[in-house]
Amino acid sequence: SDDLIWQIINNSFCSFMTKTKTSKFCRNEYNLTGLCNRHSCPLANSQYATVREEDGVIYLYMKVAERAHLPAKMWERVKLHRNYERAIGQIKEKLIYWNNWIRRRVIARFDRLLEVQKRSRRLVLTSETKLVPLSRKVERRERRREDKALVRAGLETAIEKEMLDRLRAANPEEFVNVDRAAYEKALQAVEVEDEEDDEESEEEEEDESESETEYVEDFDESEEEIEDIQEQQEEGEEEEPPVRQKLTLSSRGAAAIAPPRKRAKVTVEYDSD
Amino acid sequence: MTSRPIVTVQAAKEGEKSGASLALPSVFRAPIRPDILNFVHDQMRKNTRQPYAVHVKAGHQVSAESWGTGRAVARIPRVRGGGTSRSGQGAFGNMCRGGRMFAPTKTWRKWHRRINVQQRRFAVASAIAATGVTSLVMARGHRIEKISEVPLVVSDSVQDLKKTKEAVAFLKRVKAWPDIQKVYASQRFRAGRGKMRNRARIQKRGPLVIYAKDNGLCRAFRNIPGVTLICVSRLNLLKLAPGGHLGRFVIWSESAFRQLDQIYAKSKLPDNKMASTDLTGILRSDEVKAAVRPRQARQARAVLKKNPLKNVNVMAKLNPYALVLKRKAILAQRKALAKKRKADAPASSQKQQQKKQPAAKKAKQAAVKGKAVKK
Repeated sequence: SDDLIWQIINNSFCSFMTKTKTSKFCRNEYNLTGLCNRHSCPLANSQYATVREEDGVIYLYMKVAERAHLPAKMWERVKLHRNYERAIGQIKEKLIYWNNWIRRRVIARFDRLLEVQKRSRRLVLTSETKLVPLSRKVERRERRREDKALVRAGLETAIEKEMLDRLRAANPEEFVNVDRAAYEKALQAVEVEDEEDDEESEEEEEDESESETEYVEDFDESEEEIEDIQEQQEEGEEEEPPVRQKLTLSSRGAAAIAPPRKRAKVTVEYDSD
Repeated sequence: MTSRPIVTVQAAKEGEKSGASLALPSVFRAPIRPDILNFVHDQMRKNTRQPYAVHVKAGHQVSAESWGTGRAVARIPRVRGGGTSRSGQGAFGNMCRGGRMFAPTKTWRKWHRRINVQQRRFAVASAIAATGVTSLVMARGHRIEKISEVPLVVSDSVQDLKKTKEAVAFLKRVKAWPDIQKVYASQRFRAGRGKMRNRARIQKRGPLVIYAKDNGLCRAFRNIPGVTLICVSRLNLLKLAPGGHLGRFVIWSESAFRQLDQIYAKSKLPDNKMASTDLTGILRSDEVKAAVRPRQARQARAVLKKNPLKNVNVMAKLNPYALVLKRKAILAQRKALAKKRKADAPASSQKQQQKKQPAAKKAKQAAVKGKAVKK
């Protein structure tokens, strides 16, 4: 009933068949040619043979009508000799009374497999980069989810919290609640001066406005600055140390400062792809 | 077919002895007719439909009347009254916005189909027969590469399984698990509006377990994706050949398998139109060859007629002497030309002309010869 099977597979449905505009392919791994044909179909031929490579070893597979109903034992496997002449001899011996077409095609496929092996070995030596296919849909979806997750994580607030905690830990007694509003105001005042003076750097800023990167000093330094601010506030109208130009929270002091540095803001640089 | 192949029963539980042999029921030798099956399947699927229809009054809940001619508008009925944007709009027609559709669907459409009993039986027999053909089951897409035998018959202790864990272990032992893995891999969301209509998730079909008596089997298997369970006494075509495609992967319990012979007694089974469906084999058989006349020698095909007066080769075929004549003519012509040139041209170029001529002669002769040989 090979003919019957072929009729059903060909006309109604076969899960291994894929069509392109010009030809029909068979995705069954035991197919000899890779095409969907009456002759090549491993399902529609009760007597069939192929050559396949498993982990670098090439085997001859044979299927007979007698074992058609035992899928686990259907394919008889013969390991082919590494010597080409002997391997061909093996094939010819095993398929001696078989269909001419199958025998020829098996040998042809065997030759092809050897070529492929050669080529793939060469490739392994030369190629360094491996191409990995990207699924556009998946990539787009994942990216969107990353962005959302980033927003949800609230890194800024977390870092701020962490820094304040560390400060508190470092200076438990001296720490006084900094008036955030006043601090911000003072910062803004400094920024205004910044804008007036540094018009050159404005352009730069504009360029980077998208990624919103600000020049952030080292972590230690910025901590020191904040600490100094607090010290100054407590110590009142102490003279500013001449080495560094520091910001004082009194509005008097703000005007006196020139040329001002770019202040450390608690912003985090994000890596932009 | 007096001698029928033997099917071995596989052990369902660990430690069980497998190996009881049963003769293959005659159903598996029933003719496999995809055409009948497809037809019956189509008809059967219509029987679970729920009617849908448009509301009776849809599109007609307006009192609209045509304005008639002479108003520089199309003559469809228009909504009466004023004060709203609806007034004056077209109504009633299928082409109008808010109008009744063409041929409004009615609930009294014929939803269900009756199918002849014999056809139904034929189809189910075909479907069962197809489940016994390894190639068809593989072609349908089931992963049965590791299964020990087709049809897969399992000892009756399957029917006593109570826990899903045991059912899973059973499937793994019988090597049917890859088919379930395939189902897992295929779980996805439906494309289209079915999502909104409680049909969001889809997946492939897995194995069909046919039992004789349910002693907990159904509860054990029902939560495994892809698995369908039916009783032998109520074999359903829609489950045996889902989608109208032959060859679902079936796992039979031993008693279910035995019951098939009783359910499908010889009298109920359809006959095969052909005893052997191997057409190629039949055509190559000795009996046929003996009755057929020997093959005829290759017949000559009609050849396009070419004009001998224009085509040298055809002329040569008809009259070989024509070539000789032609050659003579060419040579004579050349001689005449040479004479003419000698007479006209100055003495210094005579030598050059003499040199050229023999070479040209040779080339021409070769060309003529070549043509004659090719034919």
